[in-house]
Amino acid sequence: MTAAWYEYFALIPVQRAFVALCISSAVFPVVGVWILGLNIVPVRFAMMHVALLGIALGMVLGLDTALMGVVCCGIVGIALAPLADKPTGLAGPMGLVMTLAIAAALLVLSIAGVNANGAFELLWGSILAMREQDVWMMAGISAAVVGVAVVFRRDLTLLLYDREIARSSGVPIGLVTTIVMGVIALAIGAAVRQTGALLVDAITILPALAARNMAQSQRGMIAWAVGIGLVGNLGGFILTLVINQPPGPVLVVTVSIITLLTYLKRR
Amino acid sequence: MMNHRESDTDIPAVLATDALCCRYGTTVAVRDATLVVRAGEHIALIGGNGSGKTTFLRAVMGFHREYSGHITIGGRTVASRGNHPWVYRAIAWMPQRQATGAFPLLVHELLDSSLDPAAARQSAIDLAMEPFLTRNLSTLSGGQLQRVFLSRALGSLTGGAQLLVADEPTAALDFAGQQAMARLLTESAQTMLVVTHDRALIERCDRVYEMAGGQMREVPR
Repeated sequence: MTAAWYEYFALIPVQRAFVALCISSAVFPVVGVWILGLNIVPVRFAMMHVALLGIALGMVLGLDTALMGVVCCGIVGIALAPLADKPTGLAGPMGLVMTLAIAAALLVLSIAGVNANGAFELLWGSILAMREQDVWMMAGISAAVVGVAVVFRRDLTLLLYDREIARSSGVPIGLVTTIVMGVIALAIGAAVRQTGALLVDAITILPALAARNMAQSQRGMIAWAVGIGLVGNLGGFILTLVINQPPGPVLVVTVSIITLLTYLKRR
Repeated sequence: MMNHRESDTDIPAVLATDALCCRYGTTVAVRDATLVVRAGEHIALIGGNGSGKTTFLRAVMGFHREYSGHITIGGRTVASRGNHPWVYRAIAWMPQRQATGAFPLLVHELLDSSLDPAAARQSAIDLAMEPFLTRNLSTLSGGQLQRVFLSRALGSLTGGAQLLVADEPTAALDFAGQQAMARLLTESAQTMLVVTHDRALIERCDRVYEMAGGQMREVPR
């Protein structure tokens, strides 16, 4: 006999996944809004490869691979921030980081004689495989996202509109960009490792894309992104349990359909 | 507006550039530009497209950093990062490129970025922009945008900015609007550096400088 979908909530991994999804769906769409505003959509791919480098270093050094992946993402995100002021922006350097990081990761693994497949497996996480410490790490990074969003609300509103308007308004754009890039990188790094690469888009960029179609202000964008993130991801998670299919693809398809529907809105 | 020139050197310089050369890679956009704007002066900067006017203003604002020579605002060097917070409080800026990107910003959010948000809002109301305070900037016409950016700049002047820097502030306005804007700018700003092609505004300025091929010279009046 097949269990009813709600009976899966008796399982600890499902409970952890649901809690993690509630936290990340409510907070990480804000990161998606920042990513769109800074025009750095490739950051997801770049940080995925940097996370792999961190995991490789963790395996070689005998440290926690998840933590090393997140730490490496944070460091690289902060290091990239000064390039945001260049006329060419951050998209180019993101591509460079992506290539360099995966090459460096494979080199580190090769030199250390570690099987590369093991590292790749660690990279493709699943929300149903989250450990308790992973949930806590996600909660911590979510708190950092909320903190930055609240403390730098005015600065971010101006920065995401136009760097020169922000600068002329006295916004310390170097500091704010560095902090935001660091938090974005941490969030992406944690999400890739803990929920899987596919699900990162469902909890960050897709809700933000949908929100951009619906809102007339940045505050409205954040509200729409959080709402769509919660409805899409939690609805998708329940659908996952109902149809008994892997959560990553089901959540991405659910949020993607909602995002597609927003393009039907008349401006 | 100043009415006499003989005692210029006794009046403190709000803005001074000395042998300023601005580059984009190997291309020199501004060559050896030396300009002193003293308190109470209104200076117009004219010239054809690509002559270096906007690059000069961007260097003054600290946005264009690929330059040699010296720029000081109120005696403080623009190149020094430590001076940047002070410099940005000293300048009220009306940009030429007023709406950028696809990201939304509401009119009142822009006005709130002024040094004196209440004064900026009042200016916007005075300029008949009250119905648009909660509108997205991207939905405004060129003339409406210029009134919003003027309101922001006027708020900053009320809040203590010493110098109004404006880049083609009347470009999107009709003839009557240009006349009104020219009057408002010169009456509101004690000290102003303005890039313009607008005769009404040029005539209201104390001195006129022309840029051609990156070089700056004073135009006799």
